[in-house]
Amino acid sequence: METSLRHQRNAEKLKRKMRIDKAFKYLFFLAALLSGSCILLIVLFILIKGIQPFLPGYRYGQMDLLQFLFGTMWRQDQAVYGVGYIVINTLISAFGALLLSFPISVLTALFIAKIAPRKLSAMLSTVVELLASIPSVVYGVFAAGMIVKLVKWLASLWGISTAGGSSLLAVILLLAIMIFPTITSMAVTAIQAVDHELELGSLALGATKTQTNFKVVLKSAKSGIFAGAILGLGRAFGEATAVSMVAGNKLFGPTFDLFDITRTLTSTMLAGLKETTGLDYDIRFSVGIVLMAVILVSNLILNAVKEKVGNHG
Amino acid sequence: MKKLTVLWLSALLLLAGCSGTSGNNENQNSVSTPETTATINVYTRDSSSGTREAFEKAGDFEGALTAKAIEVSSNGDMATKVGTDENGIGYVSLSTDFAANNVTPLNFEGVEPSEATVLDGSYKMQRPFSFVTRASGDFDSEEKEQLVAAFLDFLQNSTEGMLVVEKAGGVVDKTQGTPWEELAKNHPICSQDNSTITLATAGSTSVEKTLKAALEAFQPLAGNFQFTMNQTGSGDGYKRVMGSEKDGANKADIGFASREFKAEEEDVTQAMASGVYCIDAVVTIVNAANTAVTNLTQAQVKSIFTGEITNWADVQ
Repeated sequence: METSLRHQRNAEKLKRKMRIDKAFKYLFFLAALLSGSCILLIVLFILIKGIQPFLPGYRYGQMDLLQFLFGTMWRQDQAVYGVGYIVINTLISAFGALLLSFPISVLTALFIAKIAPRKLSAMLSTVVELLASIPSVVYGVFAAGMIVKLVKWLASLWGISTAGGSSLLAVILLLAIMIFPTITSMAVTAIQAVDHELELGSLALGATKTQTNFKVVLKSAKSGIFAGAILGLGRAFGEATAVSMVAGNKLFGPTFDLFDITRTLTSTMLAGLKETTGLDYDIRFSVGIVLMAVILVSNLILNAVKEKVGNHG
Repeated sequence: MKKLTVLWLSALLLLAGCSGTSGNNENQNSVSTPETTATINVYTRDSSSGTREAFEKAGDFEGALTAKAIEVSSNGDMATKVGTDENGIGYVSLSTDFAANNVTPLNFEGVEPSEATVLDGSYKMQRPFSFVTRASGDFDSEEKEQLVAAFLDFLQNSTEGMLVVEKAGGVVDKTQGTPWEELAKNHPICSQDNSTITLATAGSTSVEKTLKAALEAFQPLAGNFQFTMNQTGSGDGYKRVMGSEKDGANKADIGFASREFKAEEEDVTQAMASGVYCIDAVVTIVNAANTAVTNLTQAQVKSIFTGEITNWADVQ
């Protein structure tokens, strides 16, 4: 009977195993490099294309950068390109959607994770996942057919005439529905990760279930829920197809009236993209840079806020 | 005391709100048209649209569109949006299904838009899609010249070509069509393999949709020739086949313009062939509920779309 496995160690075999291991390590590294370089390539390409219109010697006539960044009118037919008001409109619609969707999402997540019976909870999670997987164009069709009618009816209650319902409010409602599954599923994960002992402790101290849910569970899951909000906001910023179907694409701005039409950065980039050439085509890359900057800055701010509220208190 | 005042005030506000809306409804029911005092909602396509270009030209207000306009993304989108907005006005191509979208086409200068009125020229909101070729003998090769002639015959005279163009939005007189099978007899070039020949087109971007459809339909009928489309604008149509750039890097075999060629600057008499292959017509539309307006003059179109008139009551 063998007492040791040592003699079975085959140096040749071992070497081969190590080689394969090493090869796989490089394979993984290559995959990471490939996906990483994609981002780099995209950013570089858009930067290079987008900066061109503002450089001297641009073949369709140099654009004024300040006028572009702070302009309050976007009219291709008069060659006036100002994204200032569009940035404001985009921020309003995205944060408006977040404001509307966030409380509902968090409460839904709480229900799914803590309150609902197991079967109902499983069913609801599936519903949320399904919502997340619906293509944005379907949301757009729904919004163009239903949400605008709702908005039109709402406006008529106040005696306001709208452009067939296309309005800032319609955009906000649409985006709120679209980012709801993103925030909810992140919040569910965060809430489920909360240590059960904490809850038991709270209950043992005499707190009610509701008190525990709000004051202990939500507080501990804060960081994760906030991450969900950031992801949701990213989706709200980036949505183009559905938004452009209900925004109305106003030529000047900014829009603060809920029933007035609006224009977002993404819908601006999309409008007529396939049919256009020259400056009108190139300038869309510049809008892309602005959009990326807006998303980056708001993410940085939100992350800073998250750090602040997430760790203390 | 304070509480009472607040309560009373809010009750008053509520009442005012209710009476306001019910008043509106009555108004709508009795007149059956949307409130004639309502503001006009102007709809427009984005500026890269050929339909917009044609419409603004016909209305004589190029680049002067009101800033209050609502921008839509396509012909169908325009019809849908105006179809849901009682106070909306917009424009679409003639091939649009008006009834299905709940919109009414308006007469222009008293003439009803239809295929017949477009073809006889009485409906003025239209423009021709014209073409011109290089001069006879100025093509790269004899085969190419024959192929161009065959394609133009297909585009202008064949039933199949007309159908393709019509499907892509152009207005053609189909009664003049001849089956391609018969026409093909005059073009022996079509029966040989032409995959080494590349036809180049230039000129108007508006013709792109109809032209591309026709070229693609013609490819299998004529020995699978190749084609490149370099559509940059009507101004280049003549220039790149007969004018200053005819031997340059961007030279082409057929040039297109979404207008007539200008007799003084663009002399097409030397070309192997030139003509009009279809007509592009634009129709002003309003919501089907808007029965107050049935006809617009060019001046009215201009003042509505430049924002001079903002109220339906002022259109009469």
